[in-house]
Amino acid sequence: MRALEVIDCHVLVIGSGGAGIRAAIEADRYGETVLLSKSITGKGGCTTMAEGGYNAVLRDTDACALHTEDTMRGGAYLNDPALVDALVHDAPARLSDLVSWGAVFDASADGEVAQRSFGGQCRPRTCYAGDRTGHEMIATLMERLRGSGVERIEETPAIELLKDSGRVCGALTLDRKGEVRAIRADAVVLATGGGARVYDVSTNSGTGSGDGFAIGYRAGAELIDMEMVQFHPTGAVYPYDARGRLVTEAVRGEGGRLINAAGERFMNCYDPERMELSTRDVVARAIATEVLEGRGTKNGGVWLDVTHLPARRIEERLPVMLEQFLRFGVDIRTEPMEVAPTAHHIMGGLSITPEGQTTLPGLFACGECSGGVHGANRLGGNALADTQVFGKRAGEAAGRSPERRATIDRVQVEAQEERLTAFFRGEVSPISVQRQLQQAMWDGAGIRRNESDLRTTLGTVGELNGAGLNAASGRNLTACCAVQNLCTTAGLIVRSALLRPESRGAHYRTDIVQTWDAQTSPFGHTRISLKGAGIEEAGR
Amino acid sequence: MTEITVTVLRFNPETDAGPHPEEYTVEVHDGARVLHALHAVHAQDETLAYRYCCGSGQCGSCAVQVDGAPVLACLAEAKDGMVVGPLALPVVQDLEVDLSPYLERLAYIDPAPCAAFPTKEEIEAIKPLRDCIECMACVSVCPALLVTDFAGPTAMRQDLRLALDPRDTGDRINEAVKEGLFFCTSCQRCWKVCPKGIEIPGKAIERLREIANRQGLSLPRHIDVAELVRTTGRSVPRTKETFLEEVPGVIEPEGEARATVGFFVGCMYNGRLPDAALDMIEVMRRNGIRVVVPHEQVCCGSPLIRTGQTAFLDQLKRRNIEAFRSRGIDTVMTMCAGCGSTLKNDYDTPFTVMDATEVLDRYGIEPPAKLRIAATYHDPCHLLRGQGISEEPRALLRKVAETFVETPNRCCGSGGGVRSGVPEEAAALGAMRGEAFEASGADVVVSCCPFCEFHIAEHTKLPVKDLMTLLREGYEQKDRDGAGQQ
Repeated sequence: MRALEVIDCHVLVIGSGGAGIRAAIEADRYGETVLLSKSITGKGGCTTMAEGGYNAVLRDTDACALHTEDTMRGGAYLNDPALVDALVHDAPARLSDLVSWGAVFDASADGEVAQRSFGGQCRPRTCYAGDRTGHEMIATLMERLRGSGVERIEETPAIELLKDSGRVCGALTLDRKGEVRAIRADAVVLATGGGARVYDVSTNSGTGSGDGFAIGYRAGAELIDMEMVQFHPTGAVYPYDARGRLVTEAVRGEGGRLINAAGERFMNCYDPERMELSTRDVVARAIATEVLEGRGTKNGGVWLDVTHLPARRIEERLPVMLEQFLRFGVDIRTEPMEVAPTAHHIMGGLSITPEGQTTLPGLFACGECSGGVHGANRLGGNALADTQVFGKRAGEAAGRSPERRATIDRVQVEAQEERLTAFFRGEVSPISVQRQLQQAMWDGAGIRRNESDLRTTLGTVGELNGAGLNAASGRNLTACCAVQNLCTTAGLIVRSALLRPESRGAHYRTDIVQTWDAQTSPFGHTRISLKGAGIEEAGR
Repeated sequence: MTEITVTVLRFNPETDAGPHPEEYTVEVHDGARVLHALHAVHAQDETLAYRYCCGSGQCGSCAVQVDGAPVLACLAEAKDGMVVGPLALPVVQDLEVDLSPYLERLAYIDPAPCAAFPTKEEIEAIKPLRDCIECMACVSVCPALLVTDFAGPTAMRQDLRLALDPRDTGDRINEAVKEGLFFCTSCQRCWKVCPKGIEIPGKAIERLREIANRQGLSLPRHIDVAELVRTTGRSVPRTKETFLEEVPGVIEPEGEARATVGFFVGCMYNGRLPDAALDMIEVMRRNGIRVVVPHEQVCCGSPLIRTGQTAFLDQLKRRNIEAFRSRGIDTVMTMCAGCGSTLKNDYDTPFTVMDATEVLDRYGIEPPAKLRIAATYHDPCHLLRGQGISEEPRALLRKVAETFVETPNRCCGSGGGVRSGVPEEAAALGAMRGEAFEASGADVVVSCCPFCEFHIAEHTKLPVKDLMTLLREGYEQKDRDGAGQQ
């Protein structure tokens, strides 16, 4: 066996979306930092795809207390209050960081960052750059990163966290040629994003495979609320291969109306007060119900209509949507869009403190792979803010970690080498396992859930997780690892869903009748780790 | 589901001698994109290497060539029989190319501490330059990159983005000059392949050159040309009798006039290649087109716009527009690709502008004799991309040449002030063009642009002719043949 190549650094950041790059920029102030990307840095992850915006309290007409209340109520009061507090109070300062680093957010007539209305919020609080806000943030962060001392390792995923006497001390990586390397670090930040690609219909980037959930779980970290999966109400339904592609909430923020096949503005029946700008869980279930009850379009969606808006406003505020639909032959200035719910965001994740500290020493997490900030349902515009607030906090806390000596555990390395070698002997295509997993999760653990379907799904996920995956060549090893991570993530979602005997936020159980609402619920977080799983319950 | 055939150019530089096509038959859904076809190929053959991330045109990972043209795989529709290859950049494996050398050359902001948020106007100026997703399609087609160490079109876009941002403290203009600001030939390929449609030559490079001009950084040869235009109204010095000196204000056709057009001659045809312009006049006369030639017309300003020297541009524009407007002309004909592109894209004219080939296409021509030549055609960048004209000149050429052969299109290197400002780059690109023509099997090179013709003639052993000259020769041959028969 060849000697293992080891890279040494102070902080290792895994994942290069908005949270990861922000964490790396911060950690770099404290010592040598490595940013590990599965993609070309800046191209992977979901931040760059985020369209709508960034929530921050900027004006006197708004207040942190209001942002907090909107976030808690939107999250069905399952949010960790300390994390919400950090989000709300830091979001303006992190926005200022972006602005001072050159971000080109849209400006209002009074020369400030412009803000618009988003679902579930009592004030126009969402800062934006047209409908490519995430792209703007990544462009800004990439400029900052290029000017920093951070070392970038690209197109190389982490496959396992390294531990030395109970403390995380680095990670094993796998490059495009199938070569394993070790990165030893004083602290590791997981910023690997979400895992909504466990579902057949999803908005997520092709790079997301729930890596942080899976490798964090395998290393022994605790995850909370993994059953809380946000289905974005409006994903594209045509063409088939583009199903699930995000149709930004900004469309509704700008005044878009939801209409069923009978021509009815149906949100009137679900949330007459907030209508289309209700929270995402409510709107997604409303659309799913309309379709289920036979009032959907022939492609299984509903109409989202902006034709009553002036064409110029659509061109200015929703240019990406306009262009994307035009490409598929729909001019949204004159025709409605056909939309249906799509798996979008995982609210659950690694349990963290406001400093991003996980339950494992040496391991930090931020962004979508962490849990607790958004509770049972995330507000549009809070995810981009989350990436910056907790990216900075985790990067800083990791950076402040003391320097340590750590030895790389040969047993761990050999176990991983054995795992990879087995892929050359396997016979099952990872592509087919992924497809079966996505279909099973969509059918049995989607918007509407019940115990029986969840149990069936758990069985399927377990079988798929045990499949002997085959790697056609060294460069296919990463795909095998990614599919296993998707299976692990799916298992965490389904097991957690079975633990929560209530409907709350995005988690909707059709087989449970409950007498409580979100504020009076006896239940708290679900918690899951290698040690076991359970749900917090009042009085127990 | 539909069955389609996809050919993928496979190449592993570690094991293969060169790229080789492999054909796959796959099933795709209605409306599938190239990326979905590649997913289907990958499901058959998991060794295929290709990149993708967002799948919705926002990350720039999946740029490939489909049938020779750069596209984003996630946006371009899959077609039966398509050939998918990597961008024309160093291949890592199959469809994956090495983007890092070009990404590394993008400048990043050096922000002032405590800088204020830009004004709405400043934001609106920067925004169009901010759409770039760094897919590097522009870099893969840029001719300047073949022969210079130009940082590439999108690096120029980024330099202007920073130059326009009040928060940035860097000296972006000097940097842009060092990174090759004056290497761009204004061939327009970069923005025609840009999935975001960012008009880099006109909206970034020429703007940077304008700022460079104000800072005294224009190239000496460019300053000389501007001075010539300022003092003489022409970008070409008078060395012989000019076209305008030779012709009257109105040139009547043979026989009845079918149409009347104004003629904007341009400096090159006026001063350096007047014979080609006279040939064109004969072709128009023969085909019943009356040509009005205002003698007070001056340089269109293209050499000034391309090099960022726009201080007195508006005077030229006013004089030219007035020359035709005052004669009540509703169609102005250009013959020079550069003038035509400038009048169409940089002017706001009260008349229609048409290239001579468009005029002949619209009114139809008397067939000339077919000359016993094998001709190839050079697409002038400012005609092909500047005006979207490719078929009209080819149709005319097929009428007069016995044999027509194609030579793959590329810029000859003479545009954008490169011939005068960076002659070694122009010569290197011209030499590549010459080699390509000589390999085409043609015995004459034909074009519709005096800059291209003049430049290419220096770099090929083959004769280079203006299309209008060839048409006139076709008519003369026809007349000789007719006389012989009588």
